Amino acid sequence: MHNLLDDYAHDNALRENSARLKLFLGMGAILLSVSSPTPIAPLFLAITMSLITVILAKIPGRIYSRLLLVPLSFALLSAGVVAFMHGGGQILFSMQLLGIDLAIREEGANLAALLIARTFGGMCSLYFIALTTPMIEIFAVLKTLRIPQSVIELSMMIYRYIFVFLDQATMIHSAQMMRLGDAGTKNTLNSFAMLCSVLFLRSWEQGERLIVAMDSRCYDGKLDLMGPAVGATPRAIFAVTAYLTASAAIAFLTRDVLLL
Amino acid sequence: MTIILETRSLSYSYGDETQALKNVCISLEEGKKVALVGPNGAGKSTLMLMFNGILRPSEGEVLFRGRPMKYDAASLRSIRRAVGMVFQNSDDQLFAPTVYQDVAFGPTNLGYASEKVLRYVGFALQYVGLSGYERRPPHHLSGGEKKRVAIAGILAMEPEVIILDEPTSNLDPASSEEIMEMLDELNYGGKTLIISTHDVDLAYRWADEVILMKDGGVVRRGTGPEVFGDVELIRDARLKLPLVVDLYSELAGRGIARASKPPKNILELCDLLQPKSGSRGGACGKIYICNVDEAEEKEILTMLEGLPVDFKGAMGTSAKIVAEKCGISIDFTYGVIDKCILKSLLGKNTIIMTSGGMVDHTLQRIRDYGQESGTKIEATMALSGVPKTLSKLT
Repeated sequence: MHNLLDDYAHDNALRENSARLKLFLGMGAILLSVSSPTPIAPLFLAITMSLITVILAKIPGRIYSRLLLVPLSFALLSAGVVAFMHGGGQILFSMQLLGIDLAIREEGANLAALLIARTFGGMCSLYFIALTTPMIEIFAVLKTLRIPQSVIELSMMIYRYIFVFLDQATMIHSAQMMRLGDAGTKNTLNSFAMLCSVLFLRSWEQGERLIVAMDSRCYDGKLDLMGPAVGATPRAIFAVTAYLTASAAIAFLTRDVLLL
Repeated sequence: MTIILETRSLSYSYGDETQALKNVCISLEEGKKVALVGPNGAGKSTLMLMFNGILRPSEGEVLFRGRPMKYDAASLRSIRRAVGMVFQNSDDQLFAPTVYQDVAFGPTNLGYASEKVLRYVGFALQYVGLSGYERRPPHHLSGGEKKRVAIAGILAMEPEVIILDEPTSNLDPASSEEIMEMLDELNYGGKTLIISTHDVDLAYRWADEVILMKDGGVVRRGTGPEVFGDVELIRDARLKLPLVVDLYSELAGRGIARASKPPKNILELCDLLQPKSGSRGGACGKIYICNVDEAEEKEILTMLEGLPVDFKGAMGTSAKIVAEKCGISIDFTYGVIDKCILKSLLGKNTIIMTSGGMVDHTLQRIRDYGQESGTKIEATMALSGVPKTLSKLT
């Protein structure tokens, strides 16, 4: 029953590790990826973070690669545009399209490579957080970071009800499919509009029921927050710090290296 | 008996047209199990929402322990603490992202210190058999588990009365029997319980008092056999007869069974059909009772090997958890005492595994049955140093 990223977050090999440390690792890797001046460090981060996610956290590789395809296809598209738009340096490739000269020059190619590498590194790091750390643990960490209480409480409620509405949306969708709501583009659009409006009304009603439910349990403006489940072991802290330092060192040492 | 909840000429209308309740006058005794039955739109849910002050009556008043309910913030707080409500749809009730946070919601808002909240939540989750589920999100729970969490959230506030709107709807039969058994346990612990249900069999055998509602009014109040004895009334209320009553009336029509009132359960029906204990032939089987609170897993297993037991029953959440841990296959998980008495009458030996709080209740029930039917069934405490034979007491 693993349909959502959330399900993996609740059930992976790194579940019982400190959420704070996992967030630190993920965020550190993201920041290093996007701030590195050359593609080498982000590529290193992308490969290592993927290995951590697939081997250490035991997320199935097939699912993981399918997840990565989405942002990667976006990155490839925009990298293609960037490569053609930026001038400077030698011409690496040129062609004529409808009488317009199109060429990839060195600078554009380098920029495109950097763009792809950064996106790739950042996404792998973000997926590491999303696939290993449940939202509730992140809420607990946010609490210790002194994020305003009301922001966390609201996010928690939103998080909880995403799944209630997801269930309802799925049910409405199946009800529409059963009666051929997807026959033709016009029908599909109509069905979707109906689904949205019904979902809006349902969420409104759900909100009213929520108030009754909270009132009947003496709501007084308080919602208990859980503390983080487990602390980090010194070994884990050392490993994460060493890894991030090594990545930073790679980024620094390869700052002048150009691929092309 | 103390009256705990009372309504005096209670009326309520939604908007201006539809009158959901009309002149409802009922009084509920403390420590009873009450079932509200009636067709859809009879006003059951509306009445329930009045009991803990969510809805305010248009006319009339609700009295809690003899005092009219007031609707200022402080009074509402105390009434909602004393009268807990479990909603029909668990997703309406479970709004926090984790089980712990949801159960802790009530105690936190009552202003308990965090250490006390932790203790109460721990107790409530243990009671419903969900210790260790603290960090799970509600959307990873089954329907039965969600219902248990919802009940735990109410238990953590230590209410005197618990109201449950359709507690067994959308649950599989085993889950709903387990929930009802847990309610019995709670009732035995002194809580007053009010449920609404469409399940006539459930209302008939479970409730001490059945309140039949129709079109916003109370049509009949009484014990199960009293209310469901009136066939026409039941048909008018768009309900059906409980299976036991239906079967009994057919048997009575053929002259096979005869009694002043219909039997309450299968055990009574069987006794009605075969009244004399002697005619069964052979001796009754023994019922062993095992208190799982006082025993180690190993002790239970060695004890079970030594006993000539044909059927095993587990009553209550903790007993079921122990049985599962020990890998004991259980034959009866609900209606355990009745089932064991029935098997005992067939000359089979049975064992009832239960928690400490329910031992006396179990012995009492078997003893009462012995007195009523004139059959001697031997109930023995297994495991406690010297076996204490209780049939001699009767």
